[in-house]
Formats: sequence, structure tokens, C-alpha cells
Amino acid sequence: MPKHKPKRGSPLVDMTAMTDVAFLLLTFFMLTAKAKPQESVVVDTPSSISETKLPDAGTLTILVSKEGQVFLDMAGQHTRKALIDDMNSQYQLGLNEEEKLKFSIAGGFGVERTKLKGWLNLPPSERSQLKVDGIPSDTSNNELGPWVHNARLAQFKMKQEGKVNDDYVIVVKADKDTPYPAVQNVINTLTDINVNKFNLITNSEADPNKKPGGK
Amino acid sequence: MAELSQDSGGGHKKGGKVRSKKMSTRIDFTPMVDLGFLLITFFMLTTTLAKPQIMALVMPEKDVKKDEQEPVKESKVLTLILGKDDKVYYYEGITEPKLDSTDFSAEGVRRVILDKQVKVKEMFGEEEFEDFKTKEQRKGSFLNVLIKPTKDAKYKNLVDVLDEMSITKVRYYVILDVSKLEEDFIKDPAKGMNFNPTVQSEPAQ
Repeated sequence: MPKHKPKRGSPLVDMTAMTDVAFLLLTFFMLTAKAKPQESVVVDTPSSISETKLPDAGTLTILVSKEGQVFLDMAGQHTRKALIDDMNSQYQLGLNEEEKLKFSIAGGFGVERTKLKGWLNLPPSERSQLKVDGIPSDTSNNELGPWVHNARLAQFKMKQEGKVNDDYVIVVKADKDTPYPAVQNVINTLTDINVNKFNLITNSEADPNKKPGGK
Repeated sequence: MAELSQDSGGGHKKGGKVRSKKMSTRIDFTPMVDLGFLLITFFMLTTTLAKPQIMALVMPEKDVKKDEQEPVKESKVLTLILGKDDKVYYYEGITEPKLDSTDFSAEGVRRVILDKQVKVKEMFGEEEFEDFKTKEQRKGSFLNVLIKPTKDAKYKNLVDVLDEMSITKVRYYVILDVSKLEEDFIKDPAKGMNFNPTVQSEPAQ
């Protein structure tokens, strides 16, 4: 009788199937990917039963941190460029073309108008580390109002020129533990410039009126 | 790992004929798969899959002319004052109000609103209104809720109470500033609150 040898499997495995799956997933993620926007501060939003989703259209986000600092961020490079042009001539910010360009591609900001020039000249990686006071939004010194107002005008102008399709959707994103007066300042600022309709960003929560799994 | 596996067959000389060496068609895919998974990981981590939810909030206009304002029946009004440490103080109407406090649990402020809704319904019956979304004529009770967050309230409290409005389907609510009178009232409810009936409410939704 010949000796029974165990069959040797080849050490080479056919990877084709795995590659197929991997690249299918890769394609899926690449197509659905939308880069996480860099937030100026970490904000833990409260939850609500609202099921409305944030629209894809241009948003103007007012971030209120836990400590009550106000940050502003808006979508659209063209609009940002038009906005900073306006603000620069209106308030003599003393920005040159390069700094304006930097503003148009920067993310959210939370500095006073006078400090904006210095902030823009920092490398982007250092901006988030800078201790900032937020945009002043109380009644005695309100810079948030002009920013939002001019941003809406700029967006409107861009819409007329056909560069964007929608007006800004104003979104307020505040932390669970933000003290109410900070939010109140923001709301008052908005109603002062006739923005009476805006949205609060929340996490989802189960609606007690709907039974889980039902309807 | 990264070698091309070559068949040694095909290279034999046979009868003097010289054949070109046949290369194997099998390629090692490992590096490609590695790269693929690396990219998947990268995209998975940078993607925001779930979009955040939003809650629409409509504030009344700042300057509404006196003659455009509509007075509200006192017995339809419920005032919620959002206080410190997740407490809600509430009182009904404005003459000889009784202050009570509750919390944000399901049996707390929700029960208060539902009870008041039942009371308003008993008193005034159901009134017809036009659904502003579907333009249908519907019936419902008209309860007016005034939400007054104090400076000790947290943003979470505001969202929670707005949430209660949509859970209990209160159609008219408005966010107002808390008055000095009410702040004193919270501190010392025994003294009561006496103020001129100047409370106005505009529909918030």
C-alpha cells in the first residue's frame, strides 16, 4: 500500500472575489462620501423627535459652544468671496486679495472683525487651536447680525447671477448645555434682521406617539 | 508574497522547436486588496452617513402693530417657565395664578399640557381651523403656550419643551423673555403675581 499523503493545499488563495467586494464597497463609499465639515468647536446637540433632515442646499450655520461662544460657517465659495468683499469695504477690515481668498476657502470662524486679519494669516492647522472669544452677539456689541445679513445678501446676489440655486437655510447648532442667554442673543439677533424662520439642529429621538416598529 | 507565480511548464524544449516562455496569467492581488481596504477605511471614517435632524422654529415678527394683534382668552393660556436644573414652572392664565413646578419626564410637563388641553376643550369645544400645510379644514382645541426660559435654563430645556409642543400637538406657542415679575414669582410663589393683563401671544406655527 502506498503511503497516504495529506493533500497539500496551495498557499495561493484566489483573491478575486474579495477584491471585487472590496472595490465595490470602495466605489460605494467614494460616491456617497461627503467630507466631514471641520467644526470650529465640538458641539453635542440635544435630541428631539423631529424627523426633518438638513437640506442639501446652502446652509449658514451658527454654532454656539458650551461656553456660549458664537461661530459662523457658511457654504459656497463664491458667496463667501462676495461676503468678505462686502464686509471688507463696509467695515474697513484691511484685507488684501490673498486674505480674502483665504476667507473664501476657510471653514467656520469665531473671531471679532478686528482680529479676522490675524486669524486668516494663521496656517489652517493652527486656527482651531487659537483661543477665541466667538463673534460678539449681544445687544451692546453685535457683529453677528451684520455677518448674517450680508451673507444672505451675498447669497441672493449669487443666486441672481446663477452661481447658486438656493437661498441660505439658517441653522442654529448649539450644545445641550449652552446657557439659554447665549442662544437668546442669537435668536434676538436673527429676529432683528428679520430672519424669523430658522432651524435648530438636533439628534434623533424616538417619538412617544409612535409605537416602535409600527406605522 | 508579491511574486508572480510562474509555471515551470511550457519551457521544455521539444524536438528542437523553441517556444516562447509562457507567462502565468495569475497575478498576486494582495497589495491591491490592501490598498482597497485602506481606502475603504478612510472613506468610512470621513463620511457622514446620517444627516443631522433639524427642527424648524418660527419666531414672531419684532414689530407687529397693535391693531394687528389679536387678544387671547386668558383661560386658554398656559405659561411654562424654564428654570434652573431642568425644572419647569407653570401657571395658567394671569389672574391669581397658581405656580407649580414639574420636570421634563413623560409624566411631567407633558401631562400638564395635556390636562390643560382637555380643560380648554371642555370650555370652548373644538374650533375649526385650516391646516396650513394641507389646506384642509380641521378641528382642534386652541391652547396657547407661552414658553419663557430664564437665564438659568439650558438650551436642551428649550429644545425639550419645543419637542413637547410637537408631541402634544400644541398649535400656538411662542418663546418670550421672562419678566421680572415672573422671576420674583418663582422665588416666592406665596406672594402671588399681580400684573396688568398685557400678555399677548402670536401664533408661532
